Amino acid sequence: MQIKSPQLVNLLFILFFAAALPVGNMLGIVSINTISLWGRYFCFAIAALGIDLIWGFTGIMSMCQAFFFCLGGYCIGMHLLLTATAIQGQKLPDFMVWNNITSLPTFWEPFHGFVPTLLLCVVIPALIALIIGFFIFRSRIKGVYMAIITQALALGMYLLFLRNETKLGGTNGLTNFKTVLGYDLNASSVKLGLYLVSLAMLCLAYAGCRKIVESKFGKILQAIRDSESRVGYTSYRVLNYKLTVFVVAALLGGLAGMLYVPQTGIITPGRMSVTASVEMLMWVALGGRGKLKGAIIGTLLVNCLYSVCTSLFPEGWLFILGLLYVLTVLYFQKGFLGLFETMGNKIGTTLKRKPAGLNPTS
Amino acid sequence: MRNRKKIGLCLILCCAVFFSAHAATDSTRVYIGQVLHPQQEEMRSHAIQRLVALKQASSFPFLEAINNSALYVLGEKAITTGNRKSEEESFPVYELYPIHRILLNAEGKPLLLNASGLKQVEISRADRLQLIPVANWLNIFNADDQKRAMAYGQLQITADTSLLNILSGALKTETNPNVLRAGKEAYYTMLLNNTTDIKKARSLMDLLSANDGDNAIGVLTAYAKQKELPQPLRLYAQQKASSLDSHYVFLQRMQNLFSGLSLGSILILISLGLAIVYGLAGIINMAHGEFLMIGAYATYSVELLFNNVLHIQNTDWFYLAALPVSFIVAGAAGLLLERLVIRRLYTKPLESLLATWGVSLILIQLARTLFGDLTAVKLPGILSGGWQVSPHLVLPYSRLFVIVLTIVAVSVIYWVLFRTRLGMQIRAVTQNRNMSACLGIDTRRVDAITFFIGSGLAGLAGCAMTLIGNVVPDMGQTYIVDSFLVVVTGGVGKLVGTIVAGLGIGVFSKVLEAFFEAVYGKVLILLGIMIFMQFKSKGLFPDKGRSAED
Repeated sequence: MQIKSPQLVNLLFILFFAAALPVGNMLGIVSINTISLWGRYFCFAIAALGIDLIWGFTGIMSMCQAFFFCLGGYCIGMHLLLTATAIQGQKLPDFMVWNNITSLPTFWEPFHGFVPTLLLCVVIPALIALIIGFFIFRSRIKGVYMAIITQALALGMYLLFLRNETKLGGTNGLTNFKTVLGYDLNASSVKLGLYLVSLAMLCLAYAGCRKIVESKFGKILQAIRDSESRVGYTSYRVLNYKLTVFVVAALLGGLAGMLYVPQTGIITPGRMSVTASVEMLMWVALGGRGKLKGAIIGTLLVNCLYSVCTSLFPEGWLFILGLLYVLTVLYFQKGFLGLFETMGNKIGTTLKRKPAGLNPTS
Repeated sequence: MRNRKKIGLCLILCCAVFFSAHAATDSTRVYIGQVLHPQQEEMRSHAIQRLVALKQASSFPFLEAINNSALYVLGEKAITTGNRKSEEESFPVYELYPIHRILLNAEGKPLLLNASGLKQVEISRADRLQLIPVANWLNIFNADDQKRAMAYGQLQITADTSLLNILSGALKTETNPNVLRAGKEAYYTMLLNNTTDIKKARSLMDLLSANDGDNAIGVLTAYAKQKELPQPLRLYAQQKASSLDSHYVFLQRMQNLFSGLSLGSILILISLGLAIVYGLAGIINMAHGEFLMIGAYATYSVELLFNNVLHIQNTDWFYLAALPVSFIVAGAAGLLLERLVIRRLYTKPLESLLATWGVSLILIQLARTLFGDLTAVKLPGILSGGWQVSPHLVLPYSRLFVIVLTIVAVSVIYWVLFRTRLGMQIRAVTQNRNMSACLGIDTRRVDAITFFIGSGLAGLAGCAMTLIGNVVPDMGQTYIVDSFLVVVTGGVGKLVGTIVAGLGIGVFSKVLEAFFEAVYGKVLILLGIMIFMQFKSKGLFPDKGRSAED
C-alpha cells in the first residue's frame, strides 16, 4: 500500500508525540513537565480546531471560544474538587467555607459522578452555544457584529465568573485537585496518561473535523463563508448550518477544557477573558485558516513561542504577540501552512522546470 | 409705701442681676489678661481654672485656642491662627475676645499675617488638661470647618445640656452652611431629647428633617425607639424618618443618573469615532480604546511638561493645553495606524479586527514600559469640588465638564459632517464608496481624515477620563467593549444612533448598578442588547429601504 505524503506527515506527527516523547521521558531525556506542557497544548489545539471549523470554514468570527473551553474546564474542575474534598473528609470545598456557604449548591450535585461529569463537560457548552447561537443567528447578526456580540458575551461571562456569588470560586477559580478516578494527579504516570489521552482526543477530533469538512455539510459551510446569501437563495437553511457548526465548535471547546484542567490543576476566570479568545483566533490565523492542520500547527507554534519568550524576556512577549498578529494578517493571509505551500509549489515548479527546460505556461 | 418698697426691691434685684452679669464678663476679661500675661505661672493655672468654671460663652473661643495650642498675642489682643503655622504664606487670623471674628485691618479687609510675626503664648500641658470638662464644647469654636462640623456631630450624643446657650450662641456666628447644618442638627437633637412637650417635640422633628442634616434619620429612629415615648410622637418620628429616607433614596438615584450621564457622554465620545470609521470603512478598530489611553497619557505628559520643563506649577492651564494636544496626538497615532496597517485591510473587516488587536497589545505594553503601571493627572483646581444642588446631591464639576465637552464635541462633529464639504464627502463615501470615487472624491484622503478625527475624539475622551479616574495602560480596554456595543446598538453611520445608544447604555448601566451589583448590571445590559438585536438587527435608526448583501 502506498502512503501519500499528507498521511505520512500525520503518521510522523503521531509517532513522534505518541512514541518518541514518552520513550524520551522513560530514558530521562524529556522531563514529565514538558510532556504535560505538550498535553496542554494538545487541548488548546482541540479548541482551535473548533475555531477553525467556525471561522476558517464558515467565516463566522466567534470570540467566545475560550468561554466554552472554560465551561468544560469548570465542569471537570467541580468534579475534581468534590473528590478532593471527599478525600480530605470535608463536606464543602474550602472556598465555600470562606464564603459562608453552608450547603453544597444544587448545581454542584451532578458533578459527584465521573461519567455524568464527562457528559456535562460537553453537553453544557453545547447547550449554551445552542441557545446563544440560536438568538444570534436568528437575528442575522454576522461579520463584525457577530465578533462584537460574542466578545461582549465573553466579557460578561468573565465578569460573572469573577464574582463569588456564582459559587465557582470567584477570582481564584477552582484548584487544589487531588485525584482523578482514584489516581493521583501529581504522579508522572497519570500525567503521561493524560497526555496520551489528550493526544488521542486531538487525533480523534482532527479525524472528526476532517469528516465534517469533507462531507456535504462541510461544503455548505464553506459556501456560506464565500457567499451566505447565495446559499440562502438556493434554499438551504443557513441558520441551521451556522447553528450546528457553532455548537460543534463549542463542544470541541468544552472537550478541550475538560482535558486541560486535570493537567494544569487550576481553572480561573482569567482563562475565559476576551484576550484568551482572541488569542485562540490568533493561533488559527497564524497556522493557516481553513486548514485543519493549520489550526493545530498554529496552536503548538504560538504556545511554544509563548513558553520560550516568557522565560527569556517576559516584558517583550506582548510586543512579539502583537507584532505576530499584525504581520500574520498583513503578510501571511494563509498562515504558516499557506506559506509552506506556496514555497513548496515554487520549489516544485523550479524543480520541474530544470530537467525539461520548458517555459511552464500552466 | 408698699408699692415703693416693691419697686425698690425690684430695682435692687435688677441691679444685682445686671452687675453680677457684668461682673462675670469683667472677670472673664481679667482672667484672660492673666492667662496672656501672668505674673506667676500659678496665676495662669488658676485663671484657666476659673474660666472653665465660669462657662462664659464669650470665653470659649479663647479656651479653644488654648486647647489647640494656637494662642497668640498681637498687641494687646489675643488671637488665633486656626491651625496654620506657615512662615511663608500669609493667612487671616481670628480675634478671640470679646468677639470671635476675623481680624480686620484699617481698610476693613482681613488682616493677613504669617507665623513669623506672631508671638505664641505657650501653655503647659497640665494647664490644658484643665479644659477637659468643657473639651467637647470647645471644638465648635475651631477655625477649621471640618473640625467644627465633627464637634457638632459629637455633641449630639452628649447628655450634658447645661451649655445649650453656648451652642446657640455659636450657631449665631456660624457662616459655613455645612457646619451650620451640623450645628443646627445637634441643637435640635438636644432640645428634642430633653423636651416632654408633644407639640414642641413635633415642631422640633419638623425642623430636624427640614434641616437635612447628615444624621437626621439616625436621630429620628433612635428617638422613636425610646421607651416611655407617647405613641403619637413615636409614630410621627417614624414617619418623618421614613419620608426622609425615601427622599435620600431619590437623591441617590439622581446621583446615579448623573453618573450614568457622564459615563454615557464618555462612551459617546469614544463610540463616535468608532462609529464614523466603521460606517465609512466597515472596520472595527480594536485599538480604538488605546487612542483613549494615548489621549490620557498625552494629558499626563502635558502636565509633566508644564511642571518639570516649563516650571509653571499650580496652574490649570496645562489642562486647557492638553485638550487640543490629546486630540492631535491620538489623531496622529490613528493616522499612522491607518497608513501602516488598516489601509491594506479595507476589504477584510475580520482580519483588520485581529491586526488592530495586535496593535492594541503593542500600544498597551509600550505605555506600560514608558509610563509604568499607574499614574494620575492632577485635577485642575477650577474643576475640583461640585455643584451642591442640595446637601445630599453634589454634582462634581469634573463630570459636568465631561458632559459639556461631549456636547461641544458632538456639535462640532455634527457641523463638520452636515455643513462642510468634507462632511459631505465623508457621508458620500460612507454611502457608496465606488460611486464617490467615480465622482472624483479622493476616498483615500477622506479615509485618512476620518480616521484622524475618529481617533482624535477618542483621545479627547482620554483627556476627559483623566478627570474621573487614574491613567493606566489598559484603560482603553475597560471601555472598548462597551463602545463596540454602542456602535452595534446605534447602527452603522448614524450619529443619532450612536448618541442615543451611548447615553442609553451609560445611564442604564449606572441605574442598574444601583439596583444590582455592577457586574450583573453589565450582564443584564448585554442580555438587553441581545434581545434588542432580535428586533432591530440594523441598529436604532436603520436606513430606509432594502439592499442585498454580498
